[in-house]
Amino acid sequence: MALLEIKNLNITYKTDKKEIKAVKDFSLDVEAKDSIGIVGESGSGKSTLAMGILKLLPKETTKITGKILFNGVDLLKLSEEKLRNLRWRDISVVFQKSMNSLSPVHKIGFQMEDIYRVHEPNVSDEEVRKRILELFKFVNLSDRVYTLYPHELSGGMMQRVSIALSLIHYPKLLILDEATTALDVVTQGQILDEIMKLEEGLDLTRMMITHDISVVASSCKKVVVMYGGCLLESGYVQDVLINPKHPYTQGLLDSFPALTGEKKNLRGIPGSIPDLSLEYKSCIFANRCKKARDICFKKVPETKILPNEWNVACHLLGGF
Amino acid sequence: MKKYIWKKIFTGILTIIFSFCFTFFLIRCAPGNPIKILAGTDNPNPELIEHLTIKYGLDKPVSVQFINYLKNILKGDFGYSYISNESVTKLIKERIFPTILLTLTSSILSLVLGTFFGVYAARKVGTCMDKFMCGLSYIIDATPGFWLGMILILIFSSTFNILPTSGMYDIREDYKGAYHVLDVIKHMILPCITLCIIQIPLYFRIARSSVLHIISEDFVLTFRATGMKEDRIFNKYVLRNAIIPTITMFSLSLAFTISGVALIEIVFAWPGMGRLIMDAIKNRDYPLLTGIYLMISISICIVMIITDIVYALIDPRIRYE
Amino acid sequence: MENIFTKISFNKELKIGVTFLIILILIAIFAPKIATHDPYVLNDDIIAKPSSRYIFGTDGLGRDVFSMVIYGSRTSIKVGILAATISSIIGTLIGGIAGYMGGIIDRIISEIINMFLMLPTFFLILIVAAIYGGSLKNIIIVIGLTSWTGTARLMRAQAMSLRERTFVKSAKTIGESNKEILFKHIIPNGMFPIISDSTMAVSSAILSEAGLSFIGIGDPNVVSWGKIIAHGRGYLTNGWWICTFAGIAIIFTVLAFYLIGEGINKLLNPKFSRSN
Repeated sequence: MALLEIKNLNITYKTDKKEIKAVKDFSLDVEAKDSIGIVGESGSGKSTLAMGILKLLPKETTKITGKILFNGVDLLKLSEEKLRNLRWRDISVVFQKSMNSLSPVHKIGFQMEDIYRVHEPNVSDEEVRKRILELFKFVNLSDRVYTLYPHELSGGMMQRVSIALSLIHYPKLLILDEATTALDVVTQGQILDEIMKLEEGLDLTRMMITHDISVVASSCKKVVVMYGGCLLESGYVQDVLINPKHPYTQGLLDSFPALTGEKKNLRGIPGSIPDLSLEYKSCIFANRCKKARDICFKKVPETKILPNEWNVACHLLGGF
Repeated sequence: MKKYIWKKIFTGILTIIFSFCFTFFLIRCAPGNPIKILAGTDNPNPELIEHLTIKYGLDKPVSVQFINYLKNILKGDFGYSYISNESVTKLIKERIFPTILLTLTSSILSLVLGTFFGVYAARKVGTCMDKFMCGLSYIIDATPGFWLGMILILIFSSTFNILPTSGMYDIREDYKGAYHVLDVIKHMILPCITLCIIQIPLYFRIARSSVLHIISEDFVLTFRATGMKEDRIFNKYVLRNAIIPTITMFSLSLAFTISGVALIEIVFAWPGMGRLIMDAIKNRDYPLLTGIYLMISISICIVMIITDIVYALIDPRIRYE
Repeated sequence: MENIFTKISFNKELKIGVTFLIILILIAIFAPKIATHDPYVLNDDIIAKPSSRYIFGTDGLGRDVFSMVIYGSRTSIKVGILAATISSIIGTLIGGIAGYMGGIIDRIISEIINMFLMLPTFFLILIVAAIYGGSLKNIIIVIGLTSWTGTARLMRAQAMSLRERTFVKSAKTIGESNKEILFKHIIPNGMFPIISDSTMAVSSAILSEAGLSFIGIGDPNVVSWGKIIAHGRGYLTNGWWICTFAGIAIIFTVLAFYLIGEGINKLLNPKFSRSN
């Protein structure tokens, strides 16, 4: 059994006038100790997916259907109390804007202690302190950070604090939502290296949500390509990113410079992201797809399963 | 932090200097003879003219006059009321306690109540109750406090006859000790309620919008993701962050509150500074009026500097800058 | 353009505010037609209760309160709009200069603005009006001269952000003078938030004028709501109607401008308009 099984997940935002289908019929299995990257443009539903797994979407304005099984337990059916028990101990998260990820008027150590005590209310002060300082060392932060306020740290340092915080209860699943996007390339690289080094000693499953395909290429085993709320292609990085089957993945790769290999011309994908308030009876990418045929405009493609856990949702695969 | 406080003190000193210059030149630049203005009548007798000329050094050049004026004020001499011929400082001293009592009581009450209502409305955002409270705050904002005071007198004193209409204590009785305190409290209820009603919307709105703003901050999401209980997140983190603008508002509204208090004092014949101002205007007692103005400006500056320091203590981001 | 109208019709505050304001302006214009009596004439009936003859009753001198309230709208609207115009012009200019020029000029102006925040403005107005006489003209000027700081702060922030925009920078490269840039680019482009602020300034000017005439520093020659209320204070026990209606008129007027200001604000910052 996979650690996380997402089955036919639909997430809809309800506004006054229309409904926006941010995630559509999304299914994915994440095995324990996997590292999986979810890539897509902004508006592709990747962050909504993360927030959906964490159940952090506002209840009044969102509708979620389908199943999110974590260790076989459906998170969507879990009571508030049980969900709270599971949070941070089983699933934790590092958000994009780490500068704002902690209260600006409380000291970092104080907040981390408080968060530690959410699930371990009876530990002594020294134990908490010891654990936090251990984590600081883990992510290359000095002990001094304990008594500082969030605004006294740089973006990279705050990101390290966020990562340390996310590991405080040895979570099984760690979601990094654009966690390195706001950082400069050098710091980003350092932090990615650190994360991968950290994983070696821990029993950790990692899900990286990013629009930067190079982050996935350098730090993940598997990749999921999302577009307009749909899964278009997923599989091992060495398969999907080297020999993409879906025209969208190909386009995405063409618009990023390669770090190695021969020079190539960068190309964007013409057109813009689809209007998610509309009902699509076609392939969601059809109107931007250079290879689109008649069938692409008539039918939603089924996900085809290739060997080696490679899934592609495209009509063109095999025959056209 | 030090730099921040020095900056505030600098502005405060500048404000006080401005007030000095303002009151000085206001009287000297007034239409007609300054003596007439100082004397308050169009035909002062020669003795008064001579007395005032010497006292204010009007025979000397303006620069010397200004320096003398400054010197006097630094000594705590704010001039003399021409009506009672008492020093302005003494007159103010007699009247300042009731004003401070009323201002502080009502300001603190409004701060507490307004913040409470604001937080409540923010937690019930979008409901009928929230909309009702917001609508009411607009209407109260549009209401002149002195009129509201009169309407309250109409309701509670003229119609129901349950609360005294004016003054600070019952002059017919001579209460002592605890009874005196009770009597003062009874007299304070209506002016205090009036001042609270007109000030609450200020704190209500700031607390409401501040809580709504903080709730949407990313750090609240972090705490939610950790499984912390909603109540704990709210009480420990959201409130602490949301309270900061309220404190700024307290200091900023002070200058506004003082004028509101003066008008309400007049309505309720409260024996404070408001009455003194009213009398000074009626008698055209300009030295007293400018003296009061200076006093008020200086007190506001001092209180504002204190609140700014408190603010810096509460918000670490200020200390850092 | 159509979009703007649909937005306005969705904006409850603006709709109510504008309706109120139209009613008020009509009342002010047609005051002589609406008023049932001459507001300055002393009738024989003193402290008469509201009746069909005297809609809001009469005051302690026998003047018809209804007609006084109707005529009072002229004073309030005049003071409010003129004082707010003065303060907006001063505020826009000073704030625009400070924000656009920056440097030492900005530092000095900001310091002056900070200083004004500490001053009890109402007393400032009160003293000047008391010494120089409380004619309507004086009151308008004094209120205008003392309440520009809010506008200036807003305009300063606007100018500071506009200064960095490409079209201003290119105007500078072409060789337009600072004065031209300020009046042709900075002020017209930064105007919108000022409009909402100025509407609010009308409200506070009306309240200040009411307060002044309540204390007795109003223009003795015009009818003013504050003065009616001050007069009514002497007749609280036997003539509740004297002060009540004038007060309601003030609330109505001030509310109209508040709502318009708030409505414009919401139109410009839709982010804050949603209560969630």
